Amino acid sequence: MTTHEEFESLAALDAVGAATADEAAALRSHVEECPACANAQAELAEAATLLARGLDPVQPPPEVRERVLASIGQHVDEDEDDDNVVRPFFNRWWWSAAAMLFLALWGWRELAVRAEREKSVTAEAEARHFSEENALLTERNEKLSAQIAAIAAAGTKTIALTGQAVAPSASARVFLEPEARRAIVFFANMPANASDRSYQLWIIRADQPKPQSAGTFDVTQTGKASITVENLPVATEIKGLAVTLEPKGGVEQPSNTNFYVSGGV
Amino acid sequence: MTMNQTEQSTGLLTAVARGDADAFEALYDRYSSMLYALLLRILGSAEDAQEVLQEAFVKVWTNARMFDEARGSEIAWLISIARSRGIDRLRSRKIRNERENDAGREVSIHVGFTDKSTGADHAIRSEEGTAVRGALAALPEAQRVALELAYFEGFSQSEIAERLGEPLGTIKTRMQLGMKKLRESLRAFQ
Repeated sequence: MTTHEEFESLAALDAVGAATADEAAALRSHVEECPACANAQAELAEAATLLARGLDPVQPPPEVRERVLASIGQHVDEDEDDDNVVRPFFNRWWWSAAAMLFLALWGWRELAVRAEREKSVTAEAEARHFSEENALLTERNEKLSAQIAAIAAAGTKTIALTGQAVAPSASARVFLEPEARRAIVFFANMPANASDRSYQLWIIRADQPKPQSAGTFDVTQTGKASITVENLPVATEIKGLAVTLEPKGGVEQPSNTNFYVSGGV
Repeated sequence: MTMNQTEQSTGLLTAVARGDADAFEALYDRYSSMLYALLLRILGSAEDAQEVLQEAFVKVWTNARMFDEARGSEIAWLISIARSRGIDRLRSRKIRNERENDAGREVSIHVGFTDKSTGADHAIRSEEGTAVRGALAALPEAQRVALELAYFEGFSQSEIAERLGEPLGTIKTRMQLGMKKLRESLRAFQ
């Protein structure tokens, strides 16, 4: 079960286009029914535009402007010379009839153009929806296959993490797949975290004095959770793994040493 | 002067949605230099950036009715269209490698264009630019780099983790913390 805070974290990634298809689809579905998360998503999307607005403006060449205006059917001819315009004589009645005919044709054309635009927008939205659904299913399938393959692979190492003083009955099992630089960690009997807190998994490396975050996760009343760690630094020695409880969304470095589960690799 | 004042809708997009070509022209004059700068940053090629800028504005013309002021500002909607088109072009033409090879290529900046914005507009935007750059400079380097790789280069979380040699969880946390700070900056401006 994904919480509102987790959806907000997903919205942060989505705002810079970094959410996976799976995450983006889950977020889209959630915000349709959750005004608070929809508001957070809108704020984060607005905040992401600061990255673009921090750039120094650059004037595009004038011909781009001409092309843009021409392509929407608005051509401004500033050099028009009224003296060269030949105006044949027609009586007022002809002009009225012509104007009415023109307006009728123009109105009909506008309606047709609008209908085409709407059809095009709907078709585009449908195509995008199916494409996203397809990407979502493909990604889920790949994720499940990867997890099964990781657990079953001959080279996969299994490591047990044990509960510490704050959660003695907690435990975790790590399936470490060195070739894929991936680890899947399944937690059990963990205390459920408060809505403003997240568990954070830390990698303790031999070559670095400080632990490195491997991601955050939440635990519900079932006491169970899992996390997949990609791009593991297998080239260097991993001394151990540990889990702390941190502010929602995680922190750069552990704020305390109350490990819930930990163990050597 | 606060950033919020410039975020208020100019009403131009609403007029464009009604088919007002003059409003469209004014919208182009107001935002094209910012969107062009964004596309140059994404694509690294003036030719590509100009083509995509044109596509983006045509999309603005045809889809203006889909703009909903309640869901975001005018400027954010325009930026999202331009960025999305820019990233699509970056991916479809696979110009990422080409750009790395052409890292030294210069981008020509055109002058002499008649900008129809007012002097007050320039003053506001200049002040806004300073405020925005201040907010970005306040981000820790690691967070800013991760956000920029996603936003301007279109890299996925995994690609960023691979490129920076960091675990995926670290990258996610960095981007989430960075976005949290940017969101706070935006609120402070308001």
